Amino acid sequence: MRSKSGFKGMFVGLLVLLLCMVFSNPSPVMAANVLRIGIGVDAESLNPQETTTATIQNICEFMYDRLYYQNAEAENVPMLVADKSVSKDGLIWTFKLRRDVRFHDGTAFNAEAVKASLDRLRHPKTRAPLRFYVGMVDRVEVVDDYTIQIHLKYPYGMLESIFSHTVTCPISQKAIKELGDRLSAQPVGTGPFKFGEWVKGERIVLVRNDDYYGRKPTLEKIIFRIVPEHATRTAMLRAGDLDVIESPQPPDVPALQRDPDLKVIGEPSSRIMFIGFNNQKGPFKDKRVRQAFNHMVDKDAIVSKVMFGTADPLEGPMPAGYFGYHRIGQYTYDPDKAKELLRAADFPMDKTVSLITPTGRYAFDKQVAEAVQAYINDIGIKVELRTYDWPTYHAMTRKPVEENETELFLLGWRNPILDPDILYMAALHSRAWAPRGMNTAFYKNPEFDRLIEKARISQSPAERKELYKKVSMVLWDEAPLLFLYEPQYTIAHRKNVKGIEVFPMEKFNPVYATVE
Amino acid sequence: MLQYVLKRLFSTIPVLIGISLVVFFLLRALPGDPAEVIAGEMATQEEVEAIRSQLGLDKPIFVQYAIFITKLAVLNLGKSARTGESVIVEIRSRLPNTILLALVSTAIACLWGIPAGIVSAVRHYTIADYVVMVVALFGISMPVFWLGLMLIVLFSVKLHVLPAGGIGTLRHLILPAVTLATFSTAFIARMTRSSMMEVMGQDYITTARSKGLAEKVINLKHALRNAFIPIITVIGLQFGTLLGGAVLTETVFAWPGIGRLIVDSILARDYPMVQGVILVFALLYIMVNLIVDILYAYIDPRIHYD
Repeated sequence: MRSKSGFKGMFVGLLVLLLCMVFSNPSPVMAANVLRIGIGVDAESLNPQETTTATIQNICEFMYDRLYYQNAEAENVPMLVADKSVSKDGLIWTFKLRRDVRFHDGTAFNAEAVKASLDRLRHPKTRAPLRFYVGMVDRVEVVDDYTIQIHLKYPYGMLESIFSHTVTCPISQKAIKELGDRLSAQPVGTGPFKFGEWVKGERIVLVRNDDYYGRKPTLEKIIFRIVPEHATRTAMLRAGDLDVIESPQPPDVPALQRDPDLKVIGEPSSRIMFIGFNNQKGPFKDKRVRQAFNHMVDKDAIVSKVMFGTADPLEGPMPAGYFGYHRIGQYTYDPDKAKELLRAADFPMDKTVSLITPTGRYAFDKQVAEAVQAYINDIGIKVELRTYDWPTYHAMTRKPVEENETELFLLGWRNPILDPDILYMAALHSRAWAPRGMNTAFYKNPEFDRLIEKARISQSPAERKELYKKVSMVLWDEAPLLFLYEPQYTIAHRKNVKGIEVFPMEKFNPVYATVE
Repeated sequence: MLQYVLKRLFSTIPVLIGISLVVFFLLRALPGDPAEVIAGEMATQEEVEAIRSQLGLDKPIFVQYAIFITKLAVLNLGKSARTGESVIVEIRSRLPNTILLALVSTAIACLWGIPAGIVSAVRHYTIADYVVMVVALFGISMPVFWLGLMLIVLFSVKLHVLPAGGIGTLRHLILPAVTLATFSTAFIARMTRSSMMEVMGQDYITTARSKGLAEKVINLKHALRNAFIPIITVIGLQFGTLLGGAVLTETVFAWPGIGRLIVDSILARDYPMVQGVILVFALLYIMVNLIVDILYAYIDPRIHYD
């Protein structure tokens, strides 16, 4: 039976080969000053002016310092700025820049570089989806090497917040000139880390900038591994293949917290999750109907049962960390009150309401929509729930009001700076109706519009605070949305990693982390 | 033979043009476009329009197709709408990973599946046969996604012997290759068994037996060779499918292959990238089929392509 033993040999051979592969070549012990971080998405671009993905903006900020950075208390701390002054009318902002800063390519950081970066961002031919963040800027003038003047179209009190946003990162002037489109794959900034390499779909590597003007990191290298599947990311962390992972799935969080080798840290994400009403359609034109729907859904139960405690029910229309936040208190879960309001508004109870949701866009989006569907069903209203992939969903909700067929839609809004102005203007102002802006709820209220317009140009923080308090009251009463919760942004890391911070804008900072 | 191969290669051109038409217009029939995805949810309509015109999506659709096909004629697949990187460069960086995974898992599947099928056929209706077939049934029914995660939990999280995901060393290849090979192994085993069983009932096997030939000669020379055509067809089809990217396996093991590239690209409505990848898929599939057809002639001398 020669041939049969041949087969046996093959089996054995293969087995031996597999075993050799398993036990040979053990994974190299990572040097103590390298941090391996698991992220869920690859970058579309590493140019801070181009990317719109929160995780990638976060990574860009390790390579690109900004004029200011916003701390967890929504204060703007100077980064590349040494001093500032504002003209009386609030239209001219003069910034004195730090003189000890160099870009990673060795060129000096100065007023010319800031101007070149802002001009690039503002140029209509540049692909910069977030250009509207600097929509108030009229022109940028270089006064001397280290002084720059920003002239505004209208007074804008929150300009420092704007200059803490990723999109305003100064980029090396030389790189802008020489690299052109390749800038998206070859970042040149002023930050504590320099660009190392980017292997698409696999990893992004940053290396320490030894010439950094500020406090130098201990870490030599940060490797971001792209691991799209949540369960794999979690397994890789537990197996020790990764040191840090971002956004574990809510149901995995309790198990990660119990693991003695791991630590989970989180902060409110400054994103609000809600079900939008089409405020111009059928019964949802009536404020009482919208209030009724807000009373129908048990937000506490959704947060604890569906989100596994990784969110906080909304107690006002904006995330708690924003400037001007005013806590009103939850829309209570009160089915009787909801029924009463529906009766008063003559809501047709035999109507089937349509609810749509994207799937995989936000943590547990579909599951949350299913829970909401169940609560509305409980009242005796039929709900038809449909799920879509993001681009289809996005296109459906952004149709103009005459063609728009949505009734209820699940969405999350996040503003990467802790100030409500840009979000309110873009998402709820009556001039921002889709497709022009992102007001897909087609909300229109002259008083709201007037209040946010006034708050935008106000120079006095106290006055702005008061105005936004009024705005909160109006929105809460008008209920253009079914307010759900503010999710937490969590990361999990191995306990031997120290000094990672999480910020309330879906950001974390591993720059000064150490690995023991 | 050479003439036949050339003819087949030449006939791929109309096939590819047909595929390019279908992909091009089907993609644009989907709701949403790359400009909206790139712009993100907060962008204004002006920004979306600006990006649309940068991508050339504001031109009439037939003009867009004409541009696409003229570029294609000189093997230019254009630039990714999402990253701005050349489509060919992106495919070239991912394709070797996919081919490696497909080759290794097909090799594993053949090395286990064919012998198992032979044993099962030769000893049909014995314990060995039942064991092989029950195991094969499990192999076919097991969802790849689940199997992959279970292997990760066992070998990475509990035993700490293999990396859970990523790419780099040979060790990174083991779990995804085994996961991917499971279905093919089972499928090939079942195919080998049924094909062998059919052949073993033929008169020439009885003749061979009555001539007093040794069982192993009958099984391997007379039976297996004649049973090989359907087996090789299945292997070819399986390999072709694996080249098309094992999306789930690649996702579970964070393997940067072409399967994930196409899914990410579809979700971003990255038209040029999807078009490019689909055309490459089609080309690979055609090539695998051609190789299988050539192998037929090698295995079965009765098959001629003149």
